[in-house]
Amino acid sequence: MAADAPKHRTSGWRRILHGRGIWPAVPALVFLFVFLVLPMATLLAFGFVTIDRGRVVDGTFTLENLWKALNDDLVWRLMWRSFWVAALSSVFTLFLAYPVAYLFAESRGLWRALVLVAVVSPLLTSALVRAYAWLVILGGRRGILNQTLISLGVVDQPLRLLNTDWAVLIGMTQIHLPFMILPLLAVLAERDRRLEEASLNLGASRTGTFFRVVVPMSVPAIFAGLALVFAVSYTNFIVPQLLGGGAYATLAVQVYEQTIVVLDWTRGAVLATILLSTCFAFVLAIVAAGNRLARWNEAAA
Amino acid sequence: MIRRAAPIDVLGGAVLALVAGFSLILLVAPSLIVIAVSFEPRAFISFPPSGFSLRWYESVFANRQLTDSIQVSFYVSLAVTGAGLLLGVPAAFASVRGTFPGKAASNAFLLAPQMMPGMVIGIASLFFGAYFAFRASDAMLILALTVFCLPFAIRISMARLAGLDPRLDEASANLGAGPAETFARVTLPQLGPALVAAAAFTFIEAFDNVTVALFTSDVRARPLPVELYYLVQYDSTPAIAAVSALEIGLSFLIMIVIARTVGLERLGR
Repeated sequence: MAADAPKHRTSGWRRILHGRGIWPAVPALVFLFVFLVLPMATLLAFGFVTIDRGRVVDGTFTLENLWKALNDDLVWRLMWRSFWVAALSSVFTLFLAYPVAYLFAESRGLWRALVLVAVVSPLLTSALVRAYAWLVILGGRRGILNQTLISLGVVDQPLRLLNTDWAVLIGMTQIHLPFMILPLLAVLAERDRRLEEASLNLGASRTGTFFRVVVPMSVPAIFAGLALVFAVSYTNFIVPQLLGGGAYATLAVQVYEQTIVVLDWTRGAVLATILLSTCFAFVLAIVAAGNRLARWNEAAA
Repeated sequence: MIRRAAPIDVLGGAVLALVAGFSLILLVAPSLIVIAVSFEPRAFISFPPSGFSLRWYESVFANRQLTDSIQVSFYVSLAVTGAGLLLGVPAAFASVRGTFPGKAASNAFLLAPQMMPGMVIGIASLFFGAYFAFRASDAMLILALTVFCLPFAIRISMARLAGLDPRLDEASANLGAGPAETFARVTLPQLGPALVAAAAFTFIEAFDNVTVALFTSDVRARPLPVELYYLVQYDSTPAIAAVSALEIGLSFLIMIVIARTVGLERLGR
């Protein structure tokens, strides 16, 4: 009995430190339940009740807010803009990211380290600072790009760069570029090269091999990157606000404004719910398209 | 077998190198331009800067509002880093070594916050707090940012834990070390670099965050990104470039820490 007691305590310790149980994760799980799940439920619920000065008026469940938002042309126009801005910028990032990832996989030593630093350093830099950088470059009267173009004699009048769709697209694309490069890097650097060698030995050109072997093999990573960049662009409200100007609105900008500026929390909650659910729907569609393409590739090979 | 490059491959290679070069410049140039214009001696931004001066850096440190917000950001981020590690590292243990029913669901739930836009986490926290008459404050900011940053701490720890050999722990136990000693002298030292990287990454994500902070931070004690967010919209002083350059410098330091502990490639997984 006496010999058993310490042993029992030891095994209790062991269970916690090295054991196979769920216990070490319990604090984090509880924390996320209280500070993520309950707040999300509140956000969802706020769209379906009447709120008076930050307090919920009891017994006022209503679908009217959602119904009103879904019948609002403005909401659909904003969603459409959010969608095409996010879609275009994800396609742009893919075209810019793929060559970087491919070059990284082919390079060694210092060059490889430099590419990695170029990709990771923006990732760790505040998105706000990076949006500000574009404000400086595209800026109003004193934008750096206009100053340069005028001093080079390319244009004689400053171009209107800021507060346009293009400014928003450029900013989104550049800021989210690392999110596309990183998944591609991992996949391209560790790929099995035997199929490419076979293709080259059989007389295919490098370019042909690139498009027929390398790109199809990376389809899952391409679509993972597209889904990620789409999601972060679709929900980004900083870039449209700073680079699109005060009158430029997307669904995400509208959610921010209703919550913080207009203080209409009911509408903010409804729009946030619409934003989140449509975002998930688009992301699922992108992932499904990727899976389909990957299966089709396998069947073709 | 030596083959001469086909014309199409010369063209293909050139296009590839051109686009890659353009992307790499696009990635780093904006930050370098911000650093360059922060040394502008005049009251407005020009590129290249018309001279070299540190006056805007002096103006940042003379600006009470900015120094206060830097202070708020520092201690909020430290708190988030501490909370993130305390919750995240044990959770990573269960995620990697656990063999309990529902492990897949538990792992998915632990990483769920990274599926949520920062804005949604911020608004949800604001509404949830309001329900209990709990206002946006440092405490709310710390809690919401911990939710936002938890997956980073968990993922970096998980990646390292998955690479550890559990047999080393068993060997330690067989040689007579108790579980606590094994943990302190075998597991923890191996985990050390990952913990440093997880802390560094969590800290910078908390420090840089604006999407969560805009909704949850105290209006009278704004963290730096929120302060900058308002400043950028209504002002064009080169002082903003100086603060931004300082933030870029901080993120560069963090990058060095991550590179020397777990390596930068780890961030891609």
